[in-house]
Amino acid sequence: MQLGFLVDLHLCMGCKGCEIACKVENEVPLSTWRLRVKYVDVGTFPETKRTFTPLRCNHCENAPCERICPVSALHYIDNGIVNIDKERCIGCAGCVMACPYGAIYIDPETQTADKCTYCAHRIASSMMPACVVACPVEANIFGDLEDPTSNISKYIQANTDVQVRKPEKGTNPHHFYVGASQAHLNPLASKREEGYNLFNNITTLPLGGHH
Amino acid sequence: MVHETLAATNAVVTLDVALPDIFWGWYVTMNMWAKSIGTGLVFMLFLLLKKNSHEMSSLRTPTLIASFVMMNIFLLFTWLDLHQMWRMWHIFFYPHWTSAITVGAWMATLFVGLEFVMIAVMILKKDEKTFDKLLFWTTLLAIPVTLYTAGIMAEASARELWQMPTESAQMILAATLSGSAAMILLGGSKLSDESKKFFGSILGLSALMAFIMYMSEYIFGAMKAEEVAAVLHYVKGDGEYASMFWIGQWVAFILPMILVALSRVSNSSSILSLAAILAIAGLWVVKHVWLVIPQLLPLS
Repeated sequence: MQLGFLVDLHLCMGCKGCEIACKVENEVPLSTWRLRVKYVDVGTFPETKRTFTPLRCNHCENAPCERICPVSALHYIDNGIVNIDKERCIGCAGCVMACPYGAIYIDPETQTADKCTYCAHRIASSMMPACVVACPVEANIFGDLEDPTSNISKYIQANTDVQVRKPEKGTNPHHFYVGASQAHLNPLASKREEGYNLFNNITTLPLGGHH
Repeated sequence: MVHETLAATNAVVTLDVALPDIFWGWYVTMNMWAKSIGTGLVFMLFLLLKKNSHEMSSLRTPTLIASFVMMNIFLLFTWLDLHQMWRMWHIFFYPHWTSAITVGAWMATLFVGLEFVMIAVMILKKDEKTFDKLLFWTTLLAIPVTLYTAGIMAEASARELWQMPTESAQMILAATLSGSAAMILLGGSKLSDESKKFFGSILGLSALMAFIMYMSEYIFGAMKAEEVAAVLHYVKGDGEYASMFWIGQWVAFILPMILVALSRVSNSSSILSLAAILAIAGLWVVKHVWLVIPQLLPLS
């Protein structure tokens, strides 16, 4: 069994339900994310559209994080998941440097590396990952890539525009996208401009009373 | 540039969470800088042994102690950089041999152990023959110890700027540059004029080669890979690290090259010493810029 993910971006509406479900299920600390949905606005008014891209660990078949980890804290499990043993991690951040997808972070509470594990603990109990369950439009398709009758295999067979992120890195991701453009998958295909953000700049509570 | 960044399509990220900034900061710069000096001094001591062995007598112990101190600074900052520093022992009890970090940690530990034995041999027994025999093996080990950081950078698949074999060449040049500079300063009047010129030549040539490599990447790197082009923007024009990059290039390479040439013309030890000080100080800046800039690029 080799588990994999496919996100149908035609269906994703950017509700961030997956992001929240992941946060709750895995108790992901504030300011860190195992899964996040990126919004990219494309076009010039009035011909504009907003794209949504859920981004998580790609569980690469040839994972740079697993290779660089000095203590095997990042390791493969039999079903293809790249898992992490937080008790073994020494926090060298080698994996953060190695992951081409920016999917690994240092957990501020445990001071160890952390990332999406495809909810390995749920899979061990024959449950779907939390983000799959939470998606209202079933844009997340999860299953066994070695089983040609699985939903994910059928999806890959039925669609001609199945893509992975950064194929040139040779990582062989077990995470696919359907309906993606460069704006979705290539971080260099879109600009990051000061002020162009849906969040406002009010982030801190002024001490000593309201102003 | 892909079509989404054209004015017609104009793709702009409008919602994304904070991306990690610099994870490997100045602690790692200290690591690379101190290791370069530590292994570089061993290379230079070995060269002195082969070239002018009669000048070794008063330099064996101080050079090895200086190298040992620099290697311990390197180990200290490596350790401090760990988010879970008290688990350092995991590297030795759960080693993962595909990782250049693991291989490097083992080799560096062995290297420092050998240096300790060499210092003990000199201080306790004053046994120069054993010292010189051990120096051969320590010099051999210094080669992979110098190179393994380049291996880590090569394994950092996300950072396109750090390429092999460029980084391995830069690591060796950093060691010969800083090692020869440290030897000039440490040797002082104990070194003959001939030896000083010899180490001055190594310093000047190392600076020249390293500078050529950085300039090659600066000018041509962007022509092969989109990510490299994006990273090099940070050191070009009004880029965030452009000033620091050029300060590093001038202080570590250009000025030492000029000063080495001047010291030869004027036969001046003080000018050579100034070149050595600048090379050592500038190397830190050069290493820091090259370490940090790829980490500024969004990866997703």
